[in-house]
Amino acid sequence: MSRRQVKGDYIETETGNKVSRKANLLGTQNMVLGGKVVIQPEVMIRGDLVRTAPSSSSSGGTAAPSTTAIQTGRYCFFSKGVVLRPPGRRYKGQFSHMPMRIGHHVFIGQDTVVQAATIGDHARIGKNCVIGEFAIIKECVEVLDGAVVPPNMVIPNYSIVAGQPARVVGEVPEGGGPDENGLRGLYSTVGNNPQNPDM
Amino acid sequence: MSSSPPYTYIQCPCSNEEPAEGSDASSPEGDSFHDAERTFDPRAPRSNYSLYLLEYLLYCEECQQIRCPRCVDEEIVTYYCPNCLFEVASSNLRSDGNRCTRNCYQCPICSGPVQVGEVQAEPETNLLSADNATAAPHGPYALFCQYCSWVSSEIGLEFERASGIPSQLAKMKNGGIPKITAKELKERRKEEPDMPPLEDELVDAELQYSALKTFYQSQINGPSNGLPGGLSLGDGHNFSSPAALTRMMSMWQPGGRGAQGKTAGPPDMFPEATDTDKGLKLAQLDESAKVQKLLDGGWDETVSKDQLLSQLEHAHFQDELRPLQCVLRTKRSRRCAVCRHIISKPENKVGSTRFKIKLVAKSYIPSITIRPLEPLAPPVPVGMRPQQPQEPPLKPLQPYQYILTFKNPLFEKLKVSLATPNNTPGRFSSKVALLCPQFDIDPVKDMWEDALDGDDRSRTEETGQAEAGKIYKRGRNWVSIILEVIPPLLTVDSLRPHTASGEPTDRSPLREDEKILEIPMFVRMEWEPEAQHDVGDSVGKDRNEGQKRELAYWCVLGVGQISHE
Amino acid sequence: MSTAKRQSTVPAGPKPPVNFSSTVTIPKDAVLQGTHSITIQSETLIHPRARLDSNLGSILIGRRSIVQERAQIGVEPQNIDTAIRGGVSLGDYVVVEVNAVIEAGGTEIGDGSVVQVGSRIGSGAKIGETVVLSNGQQRADKRLADARKLGTLKQINVVRKMIRNDQDKFK
Repeated sequence: MSRRQVKGDYIETETGNKVSRKANLLGTQNMVLGGKVVIQPEVMIRGDLVRTAPSSSSSGGTAAPSTTAIQTGRYCFFSKGVVLRPPGRRYKGQFSHMPMRIGHHVFIGQDTVVQAATIGDHARIGKNCVIGEFAIIKECVEVLDGAVVPPNMVIPNYSIVAGQPARVVGEVPEGGGPDENGLRGLYSTVGNNPQNPDM
Repeated sequence: MSSSPPYTYIQCPCSNEEPAEGSDASSPEGDSFHDAERTFDPRAPRSNYSLYLLEYLLYCEECQQIRCPRCVDEEIVTYYCPNCLFEVASSNLRSDGNRCTRNCYQCPICSGPVQVGEVQAEPETNLLSADNATAAPHGPYALFCQYCSWVSSEIGLEFERASGIPSQLAKMKNGGIPKITAKELKERRKEEPDMPPLEDELVDAELQYSALKTFYQSQINGPSNGLPGGLSLGDGHNFSSPAALTRMMSMWQPGGRGAQGKTAGPPDMFPEATDTDKGLKLAQLDESAKVQKLLDGGWDETVSKDQLLSQLEHAHFQDELRPLQCVLRTKRSRRCAVCRHIISKPENKVGSTRFKIKLVAKSYIPSITIRPLEPLAPPVPVGMRPQQPQEPPLKPLQPYQYILTFKNPLFEKLKVSLATPNNTPGRFSSKVALLCPQFDIDPVKDMWEDALDGDDRSRTEETGQAEAGKIYKRGRNWVSIILEVIPPLLTVDSLRPHTASGEPTDRSPLREDEKILEIPMFVRMEWEPEAQHDVGDSVGKDRNEGQKRELAYWCVLGVGQISHE
Repeated sequence: MSTAKRQSTVPAGPKPPVNFSSTVTIPKDAVLQGTHSITIQSETLIHPRARLDSNLGSILIGRRSIVQERAQIGVEPQNIDTAIRGGVSLGDYVVVEVNAVIEAGGTEIGDGSVVQVGSRIGSGAKIGETVVLSNGQQRADKRLADARKLGTLKQINVVRKMIRNDQDKFK
C-alpha cells in the first residue's frame, strides 16, 4: 500500500490525462484520450469491444481500418463508477460493435452507463443515468440525474432531458452552454496533486 | 435549476415595474409593492415567478436592464425535427403540420424513438448450428422500439417498404386494415355516384374531419343562400372581423332570432351534416365489446394518461395506440419586450451551437458565490469528486460566517454596494450582517496586461480574516467579503404573541421552506463605460462617454438548512 | 495502463465448486464466489467484472446467455427476512446487462429474457420471456423470439473472440 502512495493514485500521461489506478480499462490500445481527460476510480472502459464489421462499405473505403473503440476529446471527466461501452448491433446480418465518440469538455456523473454512438462537446450527463446504445447526444446537452436515454435516441443541441425513458424537459439557457461546464477547474481538483475545489 | 443550498437567485426587476396604464394600482398591496424601501421577501408567493439563476437572465443594452424569460418576446428562427435534425421550411409547415414527415416515429407505449427494421423470418434451423449468412429476404418491415421492445406488428402494422413510412401508415389502420382516405372516397364516389354513404365504423377522425371541412367550405364558398341578418358568408366577409361576429351573435340570440325567424322561415337554418359523407358520425353507444375486452385484458390492456395525451385520436386500449410522428422543435430568438431590440439570436442552422447575438446577464453583472468560511463537512476525497460536500444543518442561535465572492465580468472597474435587512423577512427571522457592504472590483484584464501592471494593487484593506469594514480577499477580478448570520430557533412556541404592528402571530406549524435560510440582498453596481474598450458596447460609445451607469437589483442567497427539533 | 495485475486485490471469498461446459467463455477477472455450485452451460459468455455469488444458493446459467460487466447474480436480497432460500437460475439466451442485479432466493429468469442496464430483480421473482426495463418496469417481449435469439448468438460469436477465456482459473 505504501508503495502506491508514493506513486500516486493517478497515472498522469504526457498529454495531461489523469487516470486513476483503480480504474478498469480494457483494450487500452483501442482508446484515444484527447488530453487532460480525468478517469476516476472504478470507471470501466471497454476498449476491447472493437468494431469487427468492415467499415469500407458504409463509410467510403478511404478511411484507414481503425480499431479505435472509444475516442474522447479534451477535458472529459468520467466520475467514479462510469461504464463506457461501445454499442453493438447487427449490421448486414453480422454483429459488430461500433466506435464511441465523445467530444471535448464532456462530463459524465457517477455510476452512469454510456453506450452512446456520439456525445457532443460540452455535454453534461448526470449521475446514475443510462445512455442507451447508439444514442446521439449533441452539443451542450444536459442529461439530468437518473435519466434513461433510450437506444437510438437523438438529442438536439441545448436540450435538457430527464426521466425514464428520457424526454426533452427544457432548454439550456443562453447563459449556460459551452463555457459553463467548469471542467478546466474540475480537472485541477483531481490527480496526484489535487487543488482544493474552492478558489 | 439547482435547489439545494448554497445558491444565488436574482430577481428580475420586471416584476416590480409599474403595471401598464389603466390597470389598477389602487389596492393597498399595490402601493407598498412599488415602494423602493420595501424588503424583498424571497418566500412571498410572487417571488417564485421572479427569481432566476444568473444563467437564465439576459441583458438589454438599450434599456440597460436585466431581462428574464418572462419579459422577453420569442420569435421562431428555425423549425427542425429533433430526431433526424432536418430543417423544415415554414412553407412545408403549413401543408404538413408540425410533425416530421420523414421516418421519424415515437413509440406509442414509451415515447422512445422507433426504428424501421425487417420482420425477420430467418430459418430457425440455423439457430443451433453455425450462423449461415444467407442473403436476407426483403421485407416486410415494421417499427421497432429498442427501449420497451414494442413492435408495430403487435398492432398489425407491417410495411412493404422501409422508406416512406408516413404515406404507408396513412393508408393503414391498426391491424393492417386499409384506411379509407378522403381522396379515395372522392374518387370512388366519382366512379359510382350511387354508392351509399360509408358505414359509421369505417369513418375515423381524420376522414370525418376532412369531410366536415369540405362540407363547411362548400357552404362558405357556395352561392349566398339568403342567410338571416343579411349575413352572406360568401362575399369576402372575414369571419374574424368584428362586424361579422356581431351579426352572427345577433343571429343566434333568442330575441333576435325570433324577430327575424318569422319572416325568413326555415331557410334561416344552417344546413347541418346529415350523413357520413358530410362528416356526420353517430356516437357508438354499444360498448359491450369494450367491456368484454376490459374483462379479458384487465388493467394492463388500457392506456395510461400519458399515452392518451400524446395520441391524436381517443383510445381506450393499448392496441388502439398508433406510432407518433415526432413533433418539430424550434430555435428561437428573443427580443426585449420593452424596446423590441433583439437580445438573443441563434444561428439558423440546426446543427450550430453558436449565436449571432447573445446578451446574457452574466457578462454584465457580477456572479455571486457563497461558501462557508469554516466548512464543517469533510472535504470530498479526490476519487469522488466533483461531489459537493454536504454541510450539516445550521444550529439555531449560533453565528455562522460565509464567504461571498463577487466576480466582475466587465472590462471596467465595478463599484458595488450591498444591503441586507438586519432580520430576514418571515415568521422566523435570521440576523444578518455584511461585514463589508461597499467595495470596488477590478476589471477583467488580459493575462499580459495583468502581468505588465505589476503588483502595485496590493490593497491594504484586504485581511484574509473576518473583520468589519474590510474585504476578506481580493483577486484579479473578484472580491470576497464575509457574511455573518445567526439562524433563528424554529419552534412555533418561540414566536412572540404579536407582531410589531400588533396583529396576532401566525402559529401554524413549521412550513417546509421556513427550514431554509434565505437572505434577500440588494445589489447596486456602478461603473463608467470606457469608450476605447468597446465591449459589445458600441452604442454607448458616443452617448455615454464619461457617464456613470448603474444597475440595481435584488437577489436571494440560499445559505443552508436550519436544523429543527 | 493495464490494471490486470491488480486482480489480486479483489477480496478472495471461498472458491465455489464450478461446473462449466467447455464452450463457456469466462475471463479471469470475472468474480465467482460462494459455497454452492455454479453451473454455466454451453456457449454462454461472461464479461469481465461480472460477479456471481453462490453464498445463498446455487447458480445455474443456461445456454447461450450473456452476463455483462458489473452485473451481479446471486446478491443477498434487500429484505433478507422475507426472502426465500435458494439460488438463481437463468434460462437459455438470457442477457443480463451492465450493472443489473439479480437477487438470490429461488429467482428464475426464463428463456430469452433481457435484464436491462441497472435493473434489479428481486428475490424469488419468476419472469418469463420478458424485458426488464432500466426503470424497473417489465414488458413482455412480443418480438419474434427466434430473431432475437439469433442476434444474441451472433453477438456471442463475435464477442467471445475479444474476451480472453480463462476457465481454468475457476476450477
